[in-house]
Parts: sequence; structure tokens; C-alpha cells
Amino acid sequence: MALRWILKLENIEKDFVFHLQQGTRIVVFSGFSHLFFPGQATILSGPSGTGKSTLLRMIYGTYKTGGGHIHVRHRGRPVDIAAAEPAMIYALRRDTIGYVSQFLRVIPRVSALDTVIEPLLALGMDPARARKKGRSLLERLNIPSTMWHLSATTFSGGEQQRINLARGFIAPYPILLLDEPTASLDVKNRQIVIDLIKEALAENTCVIGVFHDPADHSAIAGHIIDLAQIPLQEVQQPCPEKN
Amino acid sequence: MTRARQEHTALPLLQVRHLCKFFGRQMGCHDISFSVAPGEVIGVVGESGSGKSTLLNCIAGRIKPSNGSVLFNASMGVIDLCRCDEALMRRIIRTQTGYVTQNPARGLKMHISAGGNIGEKLMAAGMRHYGEIRKTALMWLEKVEIDPGRIDDLPVTFSGGMQQRLQIAANLVNAPKIMLMDEPTSGLDVSVQARLIDVLRKLVSGLNLSMILVTHDLAVARLLCHRLYVMKQGEIVESGLSDQILDDPRQPYTQLLVSSVLKP
Repeated sequence: MALRWILKLENIEKDFVFHLQQGTRIVVFSGFSHLFFPGQATILSGPSGTGKSTLLRMIYGTYKTGGGHIHVRHRGRPVDIAAAEPAMIYALRRDTIGYVSQFLRVIPRVSALDTVIEPLLALGMDPARARKKGRSLLERLNIPSTMWHLSATTFSGGEQQRINLARGFIAPYPILLLDEPTASLDVKNRQIVIDLIKEALAENTCVIGVFHDPADHSAIAGHIIDLAQIPLQEVQQPCPEKN
Repeated sequence: MTRARQEHTALPLLQVRHLCKFFGRQMGCHDISFSVAPGEVIGVVGESGSGKSTLLNCIAGRIKPSNGSVLFNASMGVIDLCRCDEALMRRIIRTQTGYVTQNPARGLKMHISAGGNIGEKLMAAGMRHYGEIRKTALMWLEKVEIDPGRIDDLPVTFSGGMQQRLQIAANLVNAPKIMLMDEPTSGLDVSVQARLIDVLRKLVSGLNLSMILVTHDLAVARLLCHRLYVMKQGEIVESGLSDQILDDPRQPYTQLLVSSVLKP
């Protein structure tokens, strides 16, 4: 039996118009299609500015899709993220798609542990169980227990990134989007993240990530999409400003 | 962005349709339509004078709109607050909505005690037993992180942040379905803002409360709101999920607004 896709990009289009900069228009995608499968790792590669993060953000619904469809299997039925109502996007982010961004944005007073277990509480898990799971993941990611009750806003770059990673890996999302998850980590912690990714893959998670380090590419051994190879992403002539 | 607990497939709690308000020839807001689901936090952002507060005041029944309707899913069914009997509108607004202003002195009675400010709302809703009223007031002070020992003190002796939290408690005691908030964090210094945001976030998710938050602080909007509406000169120019609006603004005005913010 052929594998069933979990995520299907169909002729997606994306451009950015910078109204404050003479209406410069940048086309990032014009008709890109791809299928993603459960248990498969996909590495987005290409130089900066080729749309790696843009693609992740479109899948997560943070960037509006200009054209085409982003079908995702959510609780067994396909949903088009590009056309989904806000209520559906909230549900997708709670149940189906996890996203580890490059930045940690949290309320300054909330403890690191509470930040990490928030996705589990949103899924309705008992707080005591969620905290237990959160503590073991923080331990694994080498965040000292003396810091768990502190706000992650005071943490160093690498620590913040690990808090972000813990938030992403704590819930069993069928799809996990990782935007440079190892960028500010030392060798030891980098290996832990690679292990977490491999465990998620073994659990049939579809992992899509941006990794710059070739060492990560070979360690994850995923399918590589080289976005530098995708045609039609030139910067076009400025369009006339309407306002 | 905080995650919404519910899938907002239920009937909207509030629907604003083609709402307009003119002050003589001056336009306050024009053709505003949107809806709020139960448990959803909506942010209205834009510069001063863009009509944010006018819109909020129309919804809160404090200003009579020139045109349009505000449909509220009240406990007795869906009621158009702009067309129903005035007394009914007042009753729904008083018992099922809360309104928090930027200046706590306007939302609180400064010459009666903190407990009195909360108790007054409970009595207006029909509670008569003094012991019960005091017990409830103490519970709410604790929920908004005010030392219960301060229950008999006047709000004038409170700090700005405490006054603002007291105003929120006084609005929440009667379990409204929606809170309307006009720049609740603006008068506070940054460290106090974080605390207020945290308290609000906990209350919203714990009570499945809906909220319309008028603010010009985009960082606050990102942390608290599920969706944002951007207003300019009385009209909505862009709307979407909070992260869509702030990370992928499409309209020239929204791009200007987002790029003008200084990032600390």
C-alpha cells in the first residue's frame, strides 16, 4: 500500500510586498508542490533568503499563503491551512502541528517549566502528569533544575532555544516544524536534539526542519529539499504604489 | 500567542455588524464587522484617534452607535444591543459584560474600600449576605494577587498596578461572558505590565472568558490575543491571527505600525 501523505503542498504561492520600500515585491514561491509523509524527515536547505523559514511559517499559518493549498491531515481528515478559519488554525496548532521557532516569546513572569508544559495543558493533560513530563524533558536537555521556576526570558540564547525545543517536543504532534533548532547549541546539546528528532521519527512524526550545519544533515539523514533550486524567485521590479 | 483551549466552532458570543459612529460630521468608526467566539481574545490595535475606543464604547453601550448592530448571545438568547429596549440593554451590559478602563480611578470608587468595590458589584447582582460578600471579595483579591489583608483599605492607597488588578476583579465577580478592556496596561510600568498580563491570561483561560482588548502595545497584543484587528481612521484595514498580522503584515498601514515598534 502506498504511504498516505500527512502534508501536501499544492502549487503554493507566496510573495511579499514592502509598501514602505517603494512597493518592492519579492516572489518566494510560485507554484511549489511537495508531499510529506509520517515518520519522514525533510531538511530544507538553501542560502538565506530562499524561503526556508517562510515555508515553515506558511505551514504553521503564521504567514498567509498567496495561492495554492496546504492540505494537512488533522484528526484523520484533510484540512487546507491556506483557507482555514482561525478556529481551525487554533485546533491544528493544538493537536497536529508543533513549531519550534528561532525566537522564544513568553510572558516574563511565567516559569520555564510552565512555559514548556503549556502545550500539554492545552491538550487537557492533568497538570501533575504534565509537570512530570516537563521536568524529565528539561533534565534531558540539560536545563538545571534550579532554573525551572524562573522565567525563560532571563535565560541565555542556548537555554532559551532548549526551552523552545522542549515546548515543541513535549506533545505528540504528528507534524513538527523546526527552524534552525540547533543553531545556538553546543555539541553535547546538539546531539540530544538529534536524538529527540530520531525518537520523534520513530514515533511516526513528520519532521520538517531548517538546518544549516552539514553535520546535522548527515546525522538526521532526511530527504533534502534544496530551495535554491526552485525557479521563479527573482526580485521583481517595484510595482506602482497604490496608497 | 496563547493557545485557545476550545475549538471555536460554537455560536459567536458577539457579532458586530456594520457598526458606524459619527460625532456630527466627524467619523468615529465606520462599517465595522467582526465576531468573537466564546473564549476568544480579540485585539484591536491602531494609533491614537483611529476609533478603537469609540468602537469599544459602542459595544459596551456607553456610546449609541449611529448605525449597525451589536448582537450579543446573552443568557436569554441573541439580543441586538443597539435595537433592544434600553433597560434590557443596560441589564445585559451590567450582568454579562465587564469594562476595564485605562485609568482605574474611572473604573473604581476611590472613596470606598477595595472590598467595597467588589462587594458593591455583588450586591447589585442580588447578593445580600454580608459574610458571603466578604468571602467572595477575599477570594477575588487573591485571584488577582492582591494581599487579602488590604481588603479594608481604600484604593487610593494602592499602587497603579494593584488598582488595575482591583478593577479587573470588580469586573469579574459577576462572571461576565466578555471583558471589554481599553488600554488596561498603558498606565503601568513594564514590570507591572507583565504581572497584569499574566493574571489576565490565567483568568481568561481558566474562565473561558472572551475579551476585546484595545491596545496600542503590539507586544501585549501578541502575548494575549488570538486575533487582531488593525484600525486606521475609523476603519478596519487588516485582520487575522495575531502572528499573521505581526509577522506577515500585508497592508501599508499595518507594515508601518509593525515596523515602527522599537524592540528592546
